[in-house]
Amino acid sequence: MTFQQARWDEPSIWDLAPPQSTEGPPPIPGIPDRLRRKAAVRWPELSELEVVRHYTRLSQMNFGIDTVSYALGSCTMKYNPKVSELLARRPGAADLHPYQPEATVQGSLEVIWRLERLLSKVTGLPEISLQAGAGAHGEWAALLMVRAYFRDRGELEQRTEVLLPDTAHGTNPASAMMAGFTTREIASKEGCVDLDALRAAVSDRTACFMLTNPNTAGLFESDILEIAEVVHGAGGTLYYDGANLNAILGITHPGRMGFDVAHLNLHKTFATPHGGGGPGAGVLAASEALSPYLPVPRVVKNGRKFRLDYDRPKSIGKIKTAYGNFGLDLRAYVFALTHGEEGLNHVARRAVLNSNYLGLKLGTSLPRPFRTLVKHEFVLSGAPLKARGVRTLDLAKRLLDEGVHAPTIYFPSLVEESLMIELPETESKRELDEFVAAFQRALADTPENLRAAPRSLSVGRIDEVRAAREPLLSWKDLRAHAAKVEAPGSVGAPP
Amino acid sequence: MPRWIPNEPGEEAALLEALGIPSVSELFTDVPRKARIGRLGVGPGHEEPEVVRLVDQLLDRNKPLSKYANFVGGRIASRYAPAAVDAIVSRSEFYTSYTPYQPEASQGMLRALFEFQSLWVELTGLDVANASLYDGATAAGEALLFCRRIHEGQRFLVPASLPWEEKSVLRNYASGPGLTVEEIPYDDRTGRLDLEFVRRSVAGGEVFGVLADVPNGFGHIDEGIADLKEILGRIPLVVAADPLALSVLEPPGNYGADVVVGEGQGFGVSPSFGGPLLGLFACRTEHVRSAPGRIVGATRDVDGRPAFALTLQTREQHIRRSRATSNICTNQSLMALAFVVYASVVGPRGLASLQARLAEKARTLASALGGIPGLQAPRFDAPYLGEFTIELERGTAAEFLDRLQRKKVLGGYALADPRPGNDASPERILVATPDSVGDKEIQKYARAARTALEEVGRSA
Repeated sequence: MTFQQARWDEPSIWDLAPPQSTEGPPPIPGIPDRLRRKAAVRWPELSELEVVRHYTRLSQMNFGIDTVSYALGSCTMKYNPKVSELLARRPGAADLHPYQPEATVQGSLEVIWRLERLLSKVTGLPEISLQAGAGAHGEWAALLMVRAYFRDRGELEQRTEVLLPDTAHGTNPASAMMAGFTTREIASKEGCVDLDALRAAVSDRTACFMLTNPNTAGLFESDILEIAEVVHGAGGTLYYDGANLNAILGITHPGRMGFDVAHLNLHKTFATPHGGGGPGAGVLAASEALSPYLPVPRVVKNGRKFRLDYDRPKSIGKIKTAYGNFGLDLRAYVFALTHGEEGLNHVARRAVLNSNYLGLKLGTSLPRPFRTLVKHEFVLSGAPLKARGVRTLDLAKRLLDEGVHAPTIYFPSLVEESLMIELPETESKRELDEFVAAFQRALADTPENLRAAPRSLSVGRIDEVRAAREPLLSWKDLRAHAAKVEAPGSVGAPP
Repeated sequence: MPRWIPNEPGEEAALLEALGIPSVSELFTDVPRKARIGRLGVGPGHEEPEVVRLVDQLLDRNKPLSKYANFVGGRIASRYAPAAVDAIVSRSEFYTSYTPYQPEASQGMLRALFEFQSLWVELTGLDVANASLYDGATAAGEALLFCRRIHEGQRFLVPASLPWEEKSVLRNYASGPGLTVEEIPYDDRTGRLDLEFVRRSVAGGEVFGVLADVPNGFGHIDEGIADLKEILGRIPLVVAADPLALSVLEPPGNYGADVVVGEGQGFGVSPSFGGPLLGLFACRTEHVRSAPGRIVGATRDVDGRPAFALTLQTREQHIRRSRATSNICTNQSLMALAFVVYASVVGPRGLASLQARLAEKARTLASALGGIPGLQAPRFDAPYLGEFTIELERGTAAEFLDRLQRKKVLGGYALADPRPGNDASPERILVATPDSVGDKEIQKYARAARTALEEVGRSA
C-alpha cells in the first residue's frame, strides 16, 4: 500500500510561545509565604486553537488501530468498538465520584458485579476483583495473595520461590521480585514447558508456578493438566497470566486447566483501547482457597441492592485507590454483552484461524522454530536475514513503510532474531493477505533499503543508543543542554 | 454475530481451504479433551441498539455528580475539563495506539509524553518525570521502593493523616521486600506533622525514606513539610503533591524533595467512579536509573532531525526481568496526554487563578459551616486551599452524609477506614469545593448540615 505519514515541522509546545519568566501568582490568604510559589509555572500561554492544532498535528504522526493493523504478538491489538467509547462518556459513567454514597452509584456497582460474574464464567474461577490497574499490577497483587495464603498456612518462611518458564513475559519475574519471592526460570522444550525440568524444579520451596497458556510462542501447553498435578503435588499454586486468553475463550479456561489464581488484561481480550501505552485494566480471578485474600472492597449483592463490602479480614487490603478502572470495566462489559456465548467463542476461533493462516503464508518466507499448530500468535526467526547483512529490526522498520505496525521483535528471546506475530479476530482475510504481501515486499527489498527504513514516517530511523547514552528527558534537560553547547536560539532542539 | 468480526461470505471457508482443514475445530486438537469446557454460560449476544439500551438502563441507576451540590474531593477531583481535552484524547490516532515500541511510527504520542514529563518537572522543581504510573497511591508505593533502592534501611515513615487507602497500598508495596511503614503522629489542634517524632525516628536508624503530602490527608497545608529535609539529611524525602496546588505552591524540589508523586486525574480526566486515574512520578537526574516506569527521551533520527523514543529501558521488566526497577508495563499514557492538554488549554495563569477561586470558595464554606452546632469546621487550625476537614460532635459521618445526600448535597468524604475494627476513629469528613460549587450550593450545604445535626440531636 502506498503510504506517507504526515510530517509536520511542529515545534515542541514551549517553542510555540516561549514563556517569559514571571513572578509567582498572587498570594492566597493563609498560605505561609515560605510555601508560596515565587515564580510562575514555566509553561506557555496559548490560545485553545493553538493547543488543539498542536496536538492534532502530533496525532497525525502516530499509528493507531483505526489507521493500520498491528501485528504485535502478545498485545492482541483488536478493534476498539466505538459504542464502548460512546457509553463510557455518558454522565452516568464518567461523572461519578468513587466516594459518593453507595445509594447513588447502584448502576456502577451492578456493572461491576455483572462483569465479575461474567468473568468468573470465562475464567472458571469463582471469585473476581476488577481492582488491578493493568496486567502486571494484577500479577503483583495475586502474588501478594499467594503470600498471604501461605502465611496463613504457616508455610511462608519455606515457600519463597516462584517458578517461570523461560518464555514468560518480563512482567512475571519482575512482579515475583516485587512481591518478595525469588525466581527460577525453567528451560522449555520445543517452545513448551519441559515436564521433566518442571518435576526437577518443584520442591517444598515452590510458592507458585506462573504460566501463560497459550504461551508466548503461541503454543498451547498440552501438558497443562500434568503441569497442574506436578505443581499442586509439591504444594505450590498455579498462576495464570491471562495475556493470551483471547485464543481459548469458550474452549477451555484457567479453572478447568487447574489454575488457582489468574489475571486478565481487559485491554487485550476485551477490546478496551490501549491509549498509546495505557490505561489498561487488570482482573484478578481466584479459587475458593485464594479468594479470601482478594483486595477490598468487594461488590456484593444484598437483595436488589449492591454494596461495597470491606469486611474481609484476610484481604490483602488496597492495591490502588478506589475500585479499579471503571471506565474500562464498562467498555469490557459492552464487549462481552455484545458478543455473548457464541460471539466470545467465535472470537477465539477466528483469532486462531487468522493466526494459523498467517503462519502458513509467512512460514514459507522465514523459519518457524516450533510446531505449526498455533493459537493466537506464532513466532518466526529472522536469523537467515543476517547472511544479507540485515536484522529483524530492519525488517520491522521496513514493514512500517508498508503502513502496517511491525510484529513484536526480539521476544521470546529463546528464538534468535525472533518476530512474534498476532493479528486478532477483527482483521479480515483481505487485511491478512495485505500483511503477507507487505511482509514479502519488505523481505524482497535490498539490504540497503531495509537498513534505511523507515522512509515514509514523520521521522527516519531513530538513534535510540544516543537517547540512552546522553539522556535528555525533559524540556529542563534540553534548556540545560542548549546552554551548555552555547547554541543560541536552539532551545528545545535536541543535541 | 457483531460486525466486529469480519464475516464476508466465503471468507472463513477460504481461510480453512488454504489450511486444508474442514473446520476450525481442527485447530484446537492441542487442547486435551479433559481440559475442554462445554459452554461458558454467559447468555446470548446482543445487537448494538440493544446493548446501548441495556447499558443505559444500568447507568440510569447512577446519580451523576451534576445532580447534586457536590463537595466530594480528596485525591480524586470532580473538576470541569474544557471540551478541547476530550476532543484531543478522543482522536483515535492517540487512543487506539499501542505503547510506542516503534518510535518512528509513534512520534505523536512520544512527543506528547515528553511534554507531559516536562510539565511535571516544571510543577515539581525536580529534573526527571516518568511517562506515568497507575495512580497517586501506586506512585507513592513505587516511590517507597525507589527510596529503598537509593538508600539503606528498613523503615518508611508516612503521616498518620495520610488517606487510609494510600496507607494500605503503601503497606502492600512494602510487604514484598519486608519493609515497614510507620506513621508520623500529628498535632491534634493543627494537624501538623510531629517533626520531633521524625527526628527521633531518624536518630533511631534504619529509616530509608519519609513521605509527606501537600495538601495533607485533611486537606490542609502543613508548613512543616519544608523543614523535613533538614531533619532527614541524605534520607530521601517523598512529597505527594496535588498538581493544581503546585500552581500556587513552592515546587517541592525547592525544599529538598527527592521524589514528587501525585494523582493527576484532576487535570482533564473525568472521575469515572475512580478510574482510570493518573500516577505522577518525578525524581532527580542522579537517581534516574533507579526510577520506575517508562521514560521518553529526546534524540535525533538518521537525518539529524529531532526525534523522541522510550529510553533507559534497561531499568524495565522486558529487559531486566526479575532485576527491573518495577514490574510496570501498561501505564496511563492517555491520561498523561489529557493532563498536558488540560494544563496547556487552561495555561499557567489559569491554573493559579482556578486554585485561588477554589480556595476562596473553601473559605466561604468554612465560615458558612463554622457556626453550626454539633460540627467543627474546619476541624484543624491550619491553612488550606480547596478542601478542609470537618468533625462531627454527634452522630456518625456515614449517617450525616446520608442525610445530606437525601437533601441533594454530597457532603464530602468520610475519612475513617471503613474496614471493620476502626469504630473508634473520629467522625471526620473531608469537604472540597470543586468548581461546580457556588454561593447557592454553599448555603444549601449549610442549611442541610444544620437540619441533619438537629435531627441527630433529637433522635439521640
